[in-house]
Amino acid sequence: MIDIIRLIACIILTVLGLGCLVTGVVGVYRFKYALNRIHAGALLDTVGILLMLLGVICATGLNVTSAKILVVIAFLWLTSPVSGHLIGRLEITINDELDQSMTVIDRETVAHEKDSDILDEIKEAN
Amino acid sequence: MAKIRSDYESGLFSRFLSWLTGGSTRLDDDMARSMDDQAGPARMQAQQSAHAREMERDARLAAMTEQEKSMYAHMHQWAQTKGKRFSTWLYRIAAVVICVSIIVLLVSTAAKLPPYGSPDNPANNEVSERYIEKGMQETGAVNIVAGMILDYRAFDTLGESNVLFIAAVTVLTLLRVTPSHGGKPSTSQLEAECDDRMYEPKNDLILQHQANFLVPLILLFGIYGLMNGHLGPGGGFGGGAIMGAALILYLNAFGFKKTERFFTYKTFTIVSVAALSFYAVSKAYSFFTGANHLPSFITPGTPGMLFSAGLIPYLNIAVGMVVCCTMYAFYTLFRKGDM
Repeated sequence: MIDIIRLIACIILTVLGLGCLVTGVVGVYRFKYALNRIHAGALLDTVGILLMLLGVICATGLNVTSAKILVVIAFLWLTSPVSGHLIGRLEITINDELDQSMTVIDRETVAHEKDSDILDEIKEAN
Repeated sequence: MAKIRSDYESGLFSRFLSWLTGGSTRLDDDMARSMDDQAGPARMQAQQSAHAREMERDARLAAMTEQEKSMYAHMHQWAQTKGKRFSTWLYRIAAVVICVSIIVLLVSTAAKLPPYGSPDNPANNEVSERYIEKGMQETGAVNIVAGMILDYRAFDTLGESNVLFIAAVTVLTLLRVTPSHGGKPSTSQLEAECDDRMYEPKNDLILQHQANFLVPLILLFGIYGLMNGHLGPGGGFGGGAIMGAALILYLNAFGFKKTERFFTYKTFTIVSVAALSFYAVSKAYSFFTGANHLPSFITPGTPGMLFSAGLIPYLNIAVGMVVCCTMYAFYTLFRKGDM
């Protein structure tokens, strides 16, 4: 009985995860701007992988392997959003034509923070 | 008293000299004078005939150029139409022939391979048999792979670590920015740092908090892999790569000022060279005593314990240090040109 429940849960989770992954991949290829693509990629990195790995946990049952998979999920949830955040920040820093694709509210602070840092460094060095 | 020659200019040596310098000889002078003497109608006639000859020559040249042009156009047209078709066919036939011959070659080779997993395969000789049967007893390593690469074939692994080290040294030679003289940083160093500041976002609170939490864990995992190489999966290369990745993450989060407190160019040199020398010296001792059947203080120990398997854990640490330093050095050199 428990085996059947586990199998059904595994199938449901895996199918949901695959749906998330397919959505993310389609988004990464179809969206026009880098920030939109990062958004789609973040969905792929977090929810898709979470559902797939939960499906794997359901398939293996509760043992040491599933505990390790939980640690892997924690690691991925710690790292991939941060990397997405960094890529987005780099895009804002580098892309000069950002105003054409979207409404920019708070760009000045980012830019000025960086410039003042550089000036301080040069003053210290001299 | 030397005799002054009156015909000095017509002497052999002076003629040779004038020929050498490209000046006019007496013969040329004579001819020029005789040309000037021919006066009046004869000269006019000569000029006219020369003019006619020149015209004729020009016409001939123009005709030749025209002919050449038409020939080129014809060839061009041929290349665009018939030649294109011909070369396309040639390429297709050649591609099919090459593909089919490679396929036939590979398939016939694969058909003659011994069956997978058969005990009579040439790979299953007494060497691998001995590794599997007596490996744990002789090296003390539970992980057969570690016993093989760091005990039976330790010389090969020394070469691999040296390859990494040489690669790092090459990148260092090519990419390192001119170092400073007498404490103050040089101009090129300051410029490199400014460029780095421009393009790499830094002082990111989110990244710093994440790195605060993750870097110790990743380092711990790397050290675990390093120390666990003779007991299970892991070893110097994997553990060293994980530790190098942790260092790179720390550098990205906190910048060069924090990493310079514990990892500089000097650290890189000392750690890499010390690890490689330790490897070479200890393995030399082990090879020497083993080859001469001398008593050695390196014993396999109890298999399964942390400090067992003779030299393997220490060699794993040495290899891991080299890999870690190389990874970190690659990153910093490609990013800023310094450590």
